[in-house]
Amino acid sequence: MAQFVCRYRKGDELRWISHLDVKRTLERALRRAGLPLALTQGHNPHPKLSFGPPLPLGATSDVELFALHVTEAMDADQVKQRLNEQLPAGLQVTEVWSLPAYRKKETFGNIDLAGYEVALTDSIGREDLQRRVDQLLASPQLIVHRGGERPERTVDLRPLIHRLEVVEGDDGLVLRMRLRTGSHGGARPQEVIALLGLDEHEHVKRYHRTELSTRPSEDRRPGAARGKRWRRQRR
Amino acid sequence: MQISQFEALLARVNKPARYIDGEWNAVHKDWEAARVRLALLYPDVYEVGMSHLGLQILYHVVNSHPDYLAERCYAPWTDMEAELRRAGAPLTSLESRRPLSDFDVIGITLPYELTYTNALNMLDLAGIPPRAADRTDDHPLVIGGGPGAANPEPMADFFDAILVGEGEEALLEILEASHGGRAEALARLAAIPGVYVPSRYQYSPAGAGPVGAVTPVNGAQCPITRRYVADLDAAPFPTRQLVPYLDTVHSRVTLEIMRGCARGCRFCQAGAFYRPRRERKLDTLLRQAEEAVAATGFDEISLLAFTSVDHSQIEELVTGLTRRLGARGVGVALPSLRADAFSVAIANQIRQVRKSGLTFAPEAGTDRLRAVLRKQMSEEELFAAADAAFSSGWFRLKLYFMIGLPTETEEDVEAIADLVQRLLAFGRGALGPRRGRLQISVSVAGFVPKPHTPFQWMGQDETEALAEKQRLLQQTLRARAVKLSWTDPAVSALEAAISRGDRRLGAVIHRAWQLGAKFDSWGEHFQFALWEQAFSECGLRLSDYANQDLPLDAALAWDHIACGLGKSALRAEAERALGRGEA
Ligand code: SF4
Repeated sequence: MAQFVCRYRKGDELRWISHLDVKRTLERALRRAGLPLALTQGHNPHPKLSFGPPLPLGATSDVELFALHVTEAMDADQVKQRLNEQLPAGLQVTEVWSLPAYRKKETFGNIDLAGYEVALTDSIGREDLQRRVDQLLASPQLIVHRGGERPERTVDLRPLIHRLEVVEGDDGLVLRMRLRTGSHGGARPQEVIALLGLDEHEHVKRYHRTELSTRPSEDRRPGAARGKRWRRQRR
Repeated sequence: MQISQFEALLARVNKPARYIDGEWNAVHKDWEAARVRLALLYPDVYEVGMSHLGLQILYHVVNSHPDYLAERCYAPWTDMEAELRRAGAPLTSLESRRPLSDFDVIGITLPYELTYTNALNMLDLAGIPPRAADRTDDHPLVIGGGPGAANPEPMADFFDAILVGEGEEALLEILEASHGGRAEALARLAAIPGVYVPSRYQYSPAGAGPVGAVTPVNGAQCPITRRYVADLDAAPFPTRQLVPYLDTVHSRVTLEIMRGCARGCRFCQAGAFYRPRRERKLDTLLRQAEEAVAATGFDEISLLAFTSVDHSQIEELVTGLTRRLGARGVGVALPSLRADAFSVAIANQIRQVRKSGLTFAPEAGTDRLRAVLRKQMSEEELFAAADAAFSSGWFRLKLYFMIGLPTETEEDVEAIADLVQRLLAFGRGALGPRRGRLQISVSVAGFVPKPHTPFQWMGQDETEALAEKQRLLQQTLRARAVKLSWTDPAVSALEAAISRGDRRLGAVIHRAWQLGAKFDSWGEHFQFALWEQAFSECGLRLSDYANQDLPLDAALAWDHIACGLGKSALRAEAERALGRGEA
């Protein structure tokens, strides 16, 4: 039994498929690749897979993560190559590394930071944008109402925004942001866009995820998982 | 349309993955190199259309041919339609995102009556006039096919040609003929066996409803004889099946093990339209299953047939498949069982991999009425099947019934409730301590008379009578373990009217579409009032088509379509059903 973690890219071609669709697609690609997948027990066995934090619909990414179990010893490069042969345009595994045998099932529970680059259309000027960003960052609190969630609740997004800056991209303005993510609460890039008074359809060209990582341990509450593993494990 | 413009539309619609391209096994052929380009349209939303095997077979057949190209298009959901219309953007194919009007031929499959308005809507969204008479040499040829071709008359106004029967061989002949000016192409098409070119026939109604004769104008073929593939085992079958991103109605490998059915139930049009019963051989099926699983990565394979247990080697097939695929986590599904102990034994074999309810279709509540239907299933068999099911650990049953059947009395309807109640009591006894998990789903639909069946002459119950029978069942079947579902009687009425429609219904369908009817098979979109208005504006009565008993000796609007069983044989069957009430 061996466990591998894969980093993959979600490109333009497939930015309109949901997280659930990606799961299904990877599962089928793994089966086509003929990898000796470990299956769950029970009436309806499924490959043992786990996934990093979902990517918003419409976004692209270079840093998505999933983990798989195989029943035979394999080489990480072999996993990468065989899987990539079976992936449609728009999904590509960029890195695979194996986890030591003593490690439990990887669940990506310690990932709590996500970086995004949001490419903007030219319907907003640089100065105007910078002013909005400054104003947002200067606010002590940014209360938003999440009507879609059950129970409905309000959240203060300010502490969840770790970085927000305007940069000049190849093709217009880009908002670079680093937001808290994960099961202990996170901010969505769309929420930041709305807080800036921008309209998704009018002002945003593309959301792109550039980073999934873990905060340094000193920032975290005691008892939470430690480490900056995702960055260090890059080969 | 520019790609970026299309992307902007995707950002605004629900489930944008319905409209993107690039599913695994989708085929992208060189546009310029293809001699004839075909757009295959399915008049319902992506998730439904992707689960339709027929379209995939044709997609595969055409794309396997060096000279032809086929791309797909499914009906855009209403939100996407609104975006397209607002942007003034034409409907495009999935693969190359070209406007449908760029194609040489548009092929539309007609799976059932309630999709017809969608077919018109898709043409309109593509900027192609829905009525054939309004199209010119600049427009693609629009060709229909599928089960709806059994009675092509209601849709005759909208198609340049309609293929009656199976498409594996005939579609290539159609594409071969589809070049040059419209008139020459139609002349060539009209000469292909099984191809009906409506403009070469005229209809002379002989009263209210579908009585009258369709006759050829300039010596066109008559009758139009249904095409079918003689050797199913050798017929092309796609193992590189499309793998959708979205969760579709059936996301799995579909293995067609058999086509047609020899059981001859008197209400069944599918049985009549797909005669004779043909099988694929065991070796072929095992090979195709392996190939398809390897090429798709699906975790389930479904054995498609009208009655899968009628396959002569079904036991070997199920054993072989579970042995080969089970260890890899690939399940086998048998969607069409018969109510007998043998079926349950077969189902038991696949239980390890897939556990769901068993489905039986007694259709009627009494043995007498089942004999009228020629449904070969006795109550004794049903109970034996239920016994086998419960004692081997199943606790969910699904039963299909029809109401409003010919010769049906109130007792027959009450007998449905009685039968379900007795099955329930029986199940409780059989399951003992696990009785709490017992569940019987009962699905009740109104009988819809269908052309080319012995019941084609028999009118449907009036909508009010159907509703009354439904209420009776609702009142009597109230146990918590029974889940009752039914078809809206208005839906059944419309189905009956269109299925027994004549050419005059073209105007009604066109008008209903203009008034806004679409996605009629979706409860949230079905608006019967629009149809009532369309009928009355066209000066026709729905009941003349749906509810009228047709005279046994009259010419009928679909008599020019030859399905296999001759009219005299059908009439004899009808008389046997009515006269003596026995098989
Ligand atoms: S109802 Fe089923 S068993 Fe009867 S003829 Fe039709 S397909 Fe065959």
